[in-house]
Amino acid sequence: MSIEIHNLEHTYNAGTTFSHAAIKGINLQIPDGKVTAIIGQTGSGKSTLVQHFNGLLLPTAGSLEVCGFHIQPLLKIKDVKKLRKEVGLVFQFPEYQLFEETIEKDIAFGPKNFGASEQEAQDLVKKILPVVGLDESYLERSPFELSGGQKRRIAIAGILVLNPKVLVLDEPTAGLDPQGAKEMMTLFMNLNKKENKTVILVTHDMEHVMKYCDHVIVMDHGKVLHEADVKEFFQKPEWLLSIGINPPSIVRLKCMLIEKGFEIPDSILDEESLLECIKGQVIQHV
Amino acid sequence: MSNFALGSYMPMDSVVHKMDPRSKIIIMLLLMISIFIPSGITGYICIGIFICFVLFLSKLSIKYAFRSMKPMLFMMIFLLVINVLVIKTGIPWIQWGWFSIYSDAIYQTLYIVVRLLYMIIITTILTATTKPLDLTLGIEKLLKPLEKIKFPAHIIAMMISIALRFIPTLIEETQRIMNAQASRGVDLDNGSLKEKLMAILSLIVPLFISAFDRADQLANAMEARGYNPNAQRTRYKVLKMSSLDYIGLISSSFLLILNIAICFVL
Repeated sequence: MSIEIHNLEHTYNAGTTFSHAAIKGINLQIPDGKVTAIIGQTGSGKSTLVQHFNGLLLPTAGSLEVCGFHIQPLLKIKDVKKLRKEVGLVFQFPEYQLFEETIEKDIAFGPKNFGASEQEAQDLVKKILPVVGLDESYLERSPFELSGGQKRRIAIAGILVLNPKVLVLDEPTAGLDPQGAKEMMTLFMNLNKKENKTVILVTHDMEHVMKYCDHVIVMDHGKVLHEADVKEFFQKPEWLLSIGINPPSIVRLKCMLIEKGFEIPDSILDEESLLECIKGQVIQHV
Repeated sequence: MSNFALGSYMPMDSVVHKMDPRSKIIIMLLLMISIFIPSGITGYICIGIFICFVLFLSKLSIKYAFRSMKPMLFMMIFLLVINVLVIKTGIPWIQWGWFSIYSDAIYQTLYIVVRLLYMIIITTILTATTKPLDLTLGIEKLLKPLEKIKFPAHIIAMMISIALRFIPTLIEETQRIMNAQASRGVDLDNGSLKEKLMAILSLIVPLFISAFDRADQLANAMEARGYNPNAQRTRYKVLKMSSLDYIGLISSSFLLILNIAICFVL
């Protein structure tokens, strides 16, 4: 297990009149080498939770074990930089963190902070650009003249270049067009499959959860409401609707078909097997 | 940092909260002028009583008023030390080699402390009992007569309210960018001077870019709604003076006259 969370609590501005409990006691284990989705409504504590993973926030109570680092209240993490190199955190709308004159310098900023020499950093940048689907012609351009989607790729490259073991992504596809979102997700899946990186994805998009993730954690009002394997998770659409989650289109289609009298086993969750299943029943009827 | 509120308005139900922002601004100005009239200890005691009375009416806690002084503490101490050391008139009280403190120095310094104290309390009462937007509305109304000489009162009030509106947003944005850069290994606390400069740069550049972005978007949004600074407009909130306001204005003018009188008589 690369991340273990024990009774984690976090209260903002504890002890003042503005105090606000964002996380109220969470126990979780996030599996290594898998893609885990964290879902939940706005304000359910998802972003607060992920900021504990690389030590940006310290818990108010409870503790975490992240990649061999022990994080607990009031204790300054030894070598917090090393932790941040292990756990790469990509924030919402990361394109707002770009600041350098050229793309090369901006991506190299991270490695240099972690002690890489100029030459090493440049080599790393050259290696990472194709990973995010850009070529070397971008190196000398200004990050600010790119489109929104490209800017985001650069910003994500700025984290990937650190080669973290765990990649935490806070709504990485927000504001991207469907094509761009798909490419972005494919990029993360490749990192997961080829380099065996643990990916933690905060998202609102159930289609992505179903298509790309292995494990789902549902958060609600600072607590874990449910934790399940993706395959099981979408088998009870009524329950999903009851907690305010709109199931993916294929699950909705399945529900409609069942209502019309088709018999579809719970385990079917992809288009092809669904098609196969209906086909059989239609032919029988005719 | 996220709970930082400009002037920290304290929502409460008091007579001072209910007053018209225009009269509150004028009363503040009258009190400020009174403070700067050299009317000696008697004058300061009069003003002190008046301020304490207003503080009591506003239902703000004394603790709150004193807390607002914290940021000024350093400046006050600095001024005190300089004053005590520089003024060399009156009777020498302490003589110790080249080091000496004179009576005038002490008196002068005390006056300065009292003045600063009064000023901070007055402005704190004003900002704690008046919502920022009401305050700008008050400023706009007060500057209205100046529009006759082409003074852009409305535009200035609009600028102030936009600036006030975006302070919390910018603070939030700063926090976000700081976190994002920390994830890229920026360490704002440690490191050499060059590294620190770089760290600050990595914070300021994105902040400016997003601020300009926001300004652009806001301008477009305002234009899309047909905003015209020179148009005649009506207000949802209409300021109305009550008897309370007149009492406040009359009593603070009286205080000013009293102070002038004391100054000339004594």
